[in-house]
Amino acid sequence: MIKEFCDWLTNTPLSIAFQSADWFVPLVQTVHIIAIAILLVSVYVISFRLVGMTHGSQPLATTMAKSTPWIWTMLCVLLTTGILLTITEPARELLNWVFRLKMLMVLMLAGIIALLQWRLRRNPDYWTESAGRRLAGRAVGLLVLIIGACIVTAGRWIAYV
Amino acid sequence: MALQPTLAWLQDLPLPTQIRESEWLFPTIETLHVFALVLVVGSIITVDLRLLGWANRDRPFSQLAREMLPWTWTAFVVAAIAGGLMFTSKAVVYFGNIPFRIKMLCMLLAGMNMLWFHWTGTRNLATWDASLPPPRARFAGAASLLLWGSIVAAGRWIGFTTN
Repeated sequence: MIKEFCDWLTNTPLSIAFQSADWFVPLVQTVHIIAIAILLVSVYVISFRLVGMTHGSQPLATTMAKSTPWIWTMLCVLLTTGILLTITEPARELLNWVFRLKMLMVLMLAGIIALLQWRLRRNPDYWTESAGRRLAGRAVGLLVLIIGACIVTAGRWIAYV
Repeated sequence: MALQPTLAWLQDLPLPTQIRESEWLFPTIETLHVFALVLVVGSIITVDLRLLGWANRDRPFSQLAREMLPWTWTAFVVAAIAGGLMFTSKAVVYFGNIPFRIKMLCMLLAGMNMLWFHWTGTRNLATWDASLPPPRARFAGAASLLLWGSIVAAGRWIGFTTN
């Protein structure tokens, strides 16, 4: 089923046009990498705060509020460039289990970020109110750090698996 | 000039040979390089956008730079070591590769831009620290954005021209 879809997509005029332009994939990948750079640093600044490895000069809720537009804009850029890369080489992405794992982790990351934003918007001190919350915050922060690193790792290994 | 024999000697050393011939070693080092580079670029862009006045305008520049620089330098050291290992595995090919040379040139220019900004752009920092930076500082931010974007592009281009 997915194989047939990949075959169909590969032979569409749009995919053929993308495939025949040598500059297209490197250019789109460049935008993809710059977008993940901005996203990851925005998310990691918050995660390091939650883990307790850094102490920012402004409240965590303020940092999160400022990062929010950047995070979601970059996720949209990643989605768009990711779709363009998939249209160009459907089988390389859709039939690859590393790509599927990456997509799962991206969804998990987006869900955790949304949860963190929602909690901090409702209560700016949510993650520091009690010892239990601080511990939970550390666990969530650590999880985000790991997922972020795994997403970049999976992105590179798509080319090798 | 005896550069080619030196590069050939370098890539035939045991570790570069192992990196080149192993199925997993090169991709692993490359992943580390990309991960570190992503953090370098992301942290530099954050500072550049503040210099241009496009983000974090209400935060003092010095405060933001102080928070970001440890990220930049730590990740840069990791990226440089991983990149160096990747280079040694195919030194002859990489040295002759145009995108590789463009990447190195852009890194050199980015370093010079950073030094120039450090020496002249931060002059009278106290007067603009909490507001829009003067034109020379904004120029440094724009140049940095352009150069680091080019570094990422050239890095990706290397992958399409050396395999």
